[in-house]
Amino acid sequence: MKKLVFFSVSLISLIGYSQEKQDTSYKKRVLETAEVDALFSLYNQDGNHAAVSGGDGTEELTDVTSSIIVRLPMNDDDVLSVDVGISAYSSASSSNINPLDGNSNNQVSPYMASSGASQSDVLAHINPTYQHSSDDRNKIWNANAYLSSEFDYFSVGFGGGYTQLFNEKNTEVSASAKVYFDTWNPQYPIELRGGFFDDRITGNGTYNPNFVEFDKLNRNSYSVSLSFSQILSKRLQGSIFLDLVAQQGLLSTPFQRVYFSDVDDFFIDDFQLADDVERMPDTRFKIPIGGRLNYYVNDIFLIRSYYRFYTDDWGITSHTASLEVPIKLSNTFTLYPLYRYYTQTAADYFYEKEAALSIFDYYTSDYDLSDFSANQYGLGLRYKDIFTSAKLLTFGLKTIDLRFSKYDRSDGLNSFIFSLGTTFVR
Amino acid sequence: MTNFKTMRKIGIILLLAICATSCVAVKEYDKVYLNDDEMVLSAKSMEQFETNFQVYREASAGANGGKSGGGCGCN
Repeated sequence: MKKLVFFSVSLISLIGYSQEKQDTSYKKRVLETAEVDALFSLYNQDGNHAAVSGGDGTEELTDVTSSIIVRLPMNDDDVLSVDVGISAYSSASSSNINPLDGNSNNQVSPYMASSGASQSDVLAHINPTYQHSSDDRNKIWNANAYLSSEFDYFSVGFGGGYTQLFNEKNTEVSASAKVYFDTWNPQYPIELRGGFFDDRITGNGTYNPNFVEFDKLNRNSYSVSLSFSQILSKRLQGSIFLDLVAQQGLLSTPFQRVYFSDVDDFFIDDFQLADDVERMPDTRFKIPIGGRLNYYVNDIFLIRSYYRFYTDDWGITSHTASLEVPIKLSNTFTLYPLYRYYTQTAADYFYEKEAALSIFDYYTSDYDLSDFSANQYGLGLRYKDIFTSAKLLTFGLKTIDLRFSKYDRSDGLNSFIFSLGTTFVR
Repeated sequence: MTNFKTMRKIGIILLLAICATSCVAVKEYDKVYLNDDEMVLSAKSMEQFETNFQVYREASAGANGGKSGGGCGCN
């Protein structure tokens, strides 16, 4: 964390340096001035299908995230962007990795949060990107890196891309590739850890699950992305995106319990002890293909539309469609209502609680992999002042964005997210 | 196989729709509407938080110009 903070401060101090350079070229700069985005979000959810407790238990979770994105013009052609963020969450379901918080007087239940260490965590990330444009601005290269860390998961990634514009910049084709090398620090349910004993266990016989820890803890992801954008008229433009993603390694989540129908049940109070954790194949191949179509109706209304089809070799197929209609209330204020619909089929390995058999190779009771549909409604308000008349220190305030969305899933999970974003320029 | 056929049909329709009008070349001075902030063809930076929770709560991700795998212990 200290390194992240130090890096962020150093980066912001670079802003001043980059502004001191004299521009002797006639070329228009790719980015005229340094820009800083400060973003914040509050997310809250609740539901009754927690994967940590085998598909039955509270999913209550609150997450607060803030991030800063700095874009620095390094010269006429090059831009350095750095996205630094930190996310803190508290989760009732993940607290039940260990539902026994040490106080034997407390009732143990999948519908009650434990006060154990796993109830909260912090994720920090940094994502620098360097972009270079050709003199005619028809060729763009970029390289990026990614680093994130939380208690049980560490990720490092690299990528690069190339964009070619032609047809008087009416057509754009891009190709990029990314790799991620992730590592789990697996946290198993408390009752599956070596040496577990509790004299409150009830059930027929002795609780002795047939549990084997994962031996491979890495997860590698490789993706290739292709995109094609086209201006269709003075008011209409669209694009198509295609990703090919291959993953290998530990694709199971080590703390998500599974209860078998052919194994005796054991409890501590109302909390059922795990028969195993979810077991998923160690490879996955995903193909999402999406398209955007944006239309400038008139000086008041615009339409932003998006559709995505997704399929993978775990048996999941999904469709996503979203529509946003920005309404320009004035030169400075834009209101934008939005709606998103999502539907997916279940993974081949999804089973409700007590539905899987212990002889199966793969199983999960994670309802994120179940068959469901979801509706998301939202509203945003954007303030934009191109003259940046409001100042904060030496920075001018360019935009303020407020956005609120409500998300309802057909399996009962519901959530809301509130986002705030500001852009400052120097 | 059915999924693949559906995906192929959608892809062909989108490509045909775009190719049908791709010979149009709008001049730079006529791009005032297209250059509006709201017309950007990628996801807005404000959407990153929503995309993030969707990646966790849904089994699919990608094809939106953002991350499509790795970097989190989600699906």
